[in-house]
Amino acid sequence: MKRKSALFLAVVMGISLLTGCGGTSESKTDAKSGQGTNGVFTGELEKNVTIRVLENDTAISKGYFDELINAFNEEYKDKGITAVDANMDQYLDLANDGPYGYGPDVLYQANDVIMQYAEGKHIYPLPVESMECYKEIPKTAWDAYKTEVDGNTYYCGVPINVQTAMLYYRTDLLPEDWQTTWDKDGNQVPDMVENWNDMYAYSLQRHQEDASKYGYMKAIYDVYFSSGFLFSYGGYVFGDNNTNPEDIGFSKGEAEKGAWVLSQLASAMNEECIDDTINTNAYGKLADGTYFATISTPDVYSTFLDELVMEYEKEGLSTEEAKTKAQENLVMTTVPKLPKSGDLSEENPELIDAKTMGGVNGYAVSAYTKAPNASLAFVEFAASYDMQVKRSEMLGVAPAREDAAEQVGGVSQLLYQNLEKGTIVLMPSIQEVAQIWTPAQTFFTDIAKDAFRSESEKKYPDITSMKAGLESVDKQIHDAIFTLK
Amino acid sequence: MDTTVTYILLIIVAFIFFFPCLWLILASFSKSGTIYSFDGFFPKEYSFASFEKLFTDTSLYNYPQWFFNTLFVAAGSCVLGTFLTILTAYTMSRFEFKARKPIMKTTMVLGMFPSFMGMIAVYLLMTQFNLINHLWGLILIYSAGAPMGYLTQKGFFDTIPKAIDEAARIDGATNLQVFTKINLPLSKPMIVYTALTSFTWPWSDFILPKLLLKEKNLYTVAVGLMSLDETEFARFAAGSVFIAVPIVILYFCLVKNMVNGMAAGAVKG
Repeated sequence: MKRKSALFLAVVMGISLLTGCGGTSESKTDAKSGQGTNGVFTGELEKNVTIRVLENDTAISKGYFDELINAFNEEYKDKGITAVDANMDQYLDLANDGPYGYGPDVLYQANDVIMQYAEGKHIYPLPVESMECYKEIPKTAWDAYKTEVDGNTYYCGVPINVQTAMLYYRTDLLPEDWQTTWDKDGNQVPDMVENWNDMYAYSLQRHQEDASKYGYMKAIYDVYFSSGFLFSYGGYVFGDNNTNPEDIGFSKGEAEKGAWVLSQLASAMNEECIDDTINTNAYGKLADGTYFATISTPDVYSTFLDELVMEYEKEGLSTEEAKTKAQENLVMTTVPKLPKSGDLSEENPELIDAKTMGGVNGYAVSAYTKAPNASLAFVEFAASYDMQVKRSEMLGVAPAREDAAEQVGGVSQLLYQNLEKGTIVLMPSIQEVAQIWTPAQTFFTDIAKDAFRSESEKKYPDITSMKAGLESVDKQIHDAIFTLK
Repeated sequence: MDTTVTYILLIIVAFIFFFPCLWLILASFSKSGTIYSFDGFFPKEYSFASFEKLFTDTSLYNYPQWFFNTLFVAAGSCVLGTFLTILTAYTMSRFEFKARKPIMKTTMVLGMFPSFMGMIAVYLLMTQFNLINHLWGLILIYSAGAPMGYLTQKGFFDTIPKAIDEAARIDGATNLQVFTKINLPLSKPMIVYTALTSFTWPWSDFILPKLLLKEKNLYTVAVGLMSLDETEFARFAAGSVFIAVPIVILYFCLVKNMVNGMAAGAVKG
């Protein structure tokens, strides 16, 4: 009996093992991005196809995506091409779902995500030079989607809008006498939103006047926002324009001054700056007046606005009045300038431009699509001047196209200019970027914690130790990238 | 004195377990919609806005659709799973065949492994059967897995004297008739118990639907609620509270039968 059981089990195990040796499914198609763009994008549109488009949630909830696909479907009605919502989570897993035919045909993602898919050959390189939008989008934005294989350059996405850190504040929370006491240069812009020294001073003052209120508040541990302070003083992520993972530069230049600025700002906050709390509660806390200012990306402008409208409604205003008042009082602008010395308490400091980490969100075509030409037609349509202007108007995002940015004006134009002059440092598009977050996050967490530790317990009590801490971050990232290679 | 101490202890334990539920229920009625505006543990102001939003603002988060999907999967799994479990348990209890003992031992050993161990295999199989993005795929998996837990039901069938079956057979009843006319009517409490457990598993499961359902309109409530944006806490709380309503009603309606069923399975005649 035992022998029979053993034999039976052996047969079952053998069969189980063999199931892994079968051929791949017919529906599983190979990605062919390595073969170049000519073989796939023939220019001949596939007839009677439905292309599934993955957009981000904000574009769907604010109605922009409906406008986009309706306009596209109207334009391509005669050719039998229909675009529909892919109806998937915005954080999809193309690498796993795509090969089995469950991914979208066109996807809208940040450049680092798209380029990681590109490395895995899950998306097609695009013939961007023949696209209408090519000349209107700056080279910096295209570079975010550039990859080189065997000496050939390929672009794997089409830039649509620029994402970076923006300062949000409320004008009705400014001191009543700000024009006489907080506008030294008389330019009708409050000093605290022009430079970090005044923001720091105002934060201390506001908290001193009322212990439950704060000035500038932000999660210090958040690498995306905090690393900009390091970049402003010469730090960087990877060398050779973010392409060389051998050269890690969080500690390079005088990046420790940026860490010092962060530690000073943390001292004017509360312990919530140590973790993710402020990132989540900032919408409500800015609206109820607990915070005066914070930093976030432009695509969440409408969320801040909605919260403020709700707050004004609670105060008794009608919806229309609340909306008008909120639009007047909520300001989104570029990040203030930094003191060259890194000392936020310095009187009349020499100021330098603040750099911020940013990204370029754009469209890419899945390598598993059965209609690459129709998908490309959709991407080209979505990147057109009209659609980019509409996207910016409806979502408040900054277009990557120069003509659209000019048309929209305001912050969008400022962001476009910042991208061109290099104060927006684009997130690296190489896969090694996945290793930077944890070491950097640990460092920034300690910087934030130090603000609430006694002098003897501080991990980074002075600027020299901050430099050493950043060098340690570089080493940890290097080890994480190369130890197991 | 002893009773008083027991009651005090029970009240303390009940409060500890009830407090998170109470907090979630009150949070779902929060007017501000964010936990950061709470006055201590509880919201400052209350309203039905979150529940209203849950059912009316469906452009991005289609809660009614998720609710219907969950109900469909749970009800389908409940019917099919109960049928298969009762059949399995009855077969194991009433019929003697060569592989009976090895099968019982094997199912017992297999039951010790957590179900998510086979998720990758399940995913690959479902891709081959083209059952990804199909609610029926989930029903099949839940139903197929349900008979693995047949031991309680078998224990119940063991308590029904075999002499009754034999008497029926002498009167000319077939196996099917013995099962449907004699054993099944006697097993009502156990069927109710099986149906309830077969319903609650898919009702609250997250891993399998997350793995197999890629389209947002096909999400079950558990997956849908997890996909909510971080600023949608009140909607999350309202969704979590509302999902409990049908199952609470079901429990209250069937609890009497269920208690009988559980007790019956535990005692051997």
